[in-house]
Amino acid sequence: MAALGAWGSAAVPARLSRVARTLWGWRARRGLGQDAGAADEGRAAKPAFADEAVQNLLYKMTGLNLQKVFRPVKKELKPPKYKLMTEAQLEEATRKAIEEAKEKLIMPPVLNEREPIDDVLAEDKFLEGTETAKYVFTDLTYSIPHRERFIVVREPNGVLRKATWEERDRMIQIFFPKEGRRVIPPVIFKDEHLVTVFQQDRHEDILNMCIAQFEPDSPDYIRVHHRTYDDIEKHAKYDLLRSTRHFGGMVWYLVNRKKTDGLLIDMIHRDLLDDATNLITLYHMLHPECQSANEAKERKLQGVDLIKIFVKTESQREGYIQLALQAYEEAMATSTAS
Amino acid sequence: GGRLLKGYRGGHVVIRFALGGCTNRPFYRIVAAHSRRARDGKYLEQLGCLDPLPNAHGERVAGLNLERLRHWLGCGAQLSRPAEKLLGLAGFLPLHPMTVTGAERLRRRAQEAVTPPADG
Repeated sequence: MAALGAWGSAAVPARLSRVARTLWGWRARRGLGQDAGAADEGRAAKPAFADEAVQNLLYKMTGLNLQKVFRPVKKELKPPKYKLMTEAQLEEATRKAIEEAKEKLIMPPVLNEREPIDDVLAEDKFLEGTETAKYVFTDLTYSIPHRERFIVVREPNGVLRKATWEERDRMIQIFFPKEGRRVIPPVIFKDEHLVTVFQQDRHEDILNMCIAQFEPDSPDYIRVHHRTYDDIEKHAKYDLLRSTRHFGGMVWYLVNRKKTDGLLIDMIHRDLLDDATNLITLYHMLHPECQSANEAKERKLQGVDLIKIFVKTESQREGYIQLALQAYEEAMATSTAS
Repeated sequence: GGRLLKGYRGGHVVIRFALGGCTNRPFYRIVAAHSRRARDGKYLEQLGCLDPLPNAHGERVAGLNLERLRHWLGCGAQLSRPAEKLLGLAGFLPLHPMTVTGAERLRRRAQEAVTPPADG
């Protein structure tokens, strides 16, 4: 294994960019057959995560807090650079910063869990007893995408089968290492250790680590994300993820499971009424058969009325939301009066 | 003093294993080289690797650059016997007949080890 290092490290930067493009090319590329099929049905029956309209709504809700997006990441200490700029130059710099922030806020894909691979290529029963350990063969051809790479396992009982997803991920990380990913997933992703992470309010960090370590359709990725979202929803810590790229995924998860009350209350408390209306629009897009969706479509409601209809029909914590709405309206009245 | 370029008379390209690693820790590189070169000497291209010792998950990891392997086989390279056996196990080539024969011999020897003590 030591001899591999020198051989592999020379071409790492090219591979990294190629792998990064492959990872985020989910929407543009052919993708998995099941995903494409689901998206096609989705346009008629149910909107998928990657639809334009859904993405627009989620992006608006994510917010764009430049201070938080460009928060100092722990890097080498360098003295700060000061520049003297005119107003026009400052506007230009802010515009560029907003564009860079938009890139940082691209949402990672939300996919269904991948089907386990169970394919036998050959059965040679007479080989039984000759070997004690299995052989894992990886195709190291440089120009094929990792999803199409051949990774086969020859078991000691002579069966030649395709490797499981976990074996595939491990082998690909050994031969084509990606930055931030380890061959064996760190222990922190186990459930008992995630609790400690949540107590320290480091949801965003663990989600970034999870994106670096796992593939988006692996069961571990989905499990870690769902635990994080559940914990945030339980303790109403929505602001931790606002203005990060994980906010859209969290909203999608909550809306699919109809647990939107806490988020709605949080938005009203922070006077983000536009976000609240976007949230309810998304809810209606995903659950068109519910009562509030029908009423809203009939009467073509906008703004605060939409929220009120939603609160009356769909929410569990009506009282809280009504109180919050009342407080907001009083605050609006006093501010306009004064 | 050595020369930079070694000229051979005859010889052909072979795909074989070059041994590396340390004491009691072998590591093979699957390599396309001239047949007259030293086993671990200068090679034309590295086509893969094989770690014969099982790792923490009980697997022997092997990597094969099939595209370049096909290229060299197309250029008329020959294979050494262990390389043929490995590619047979991988499924790239059909199983080597000696693998089958070796398995049969092992089974026969195991049976003979069992039955004569039963008889004798």
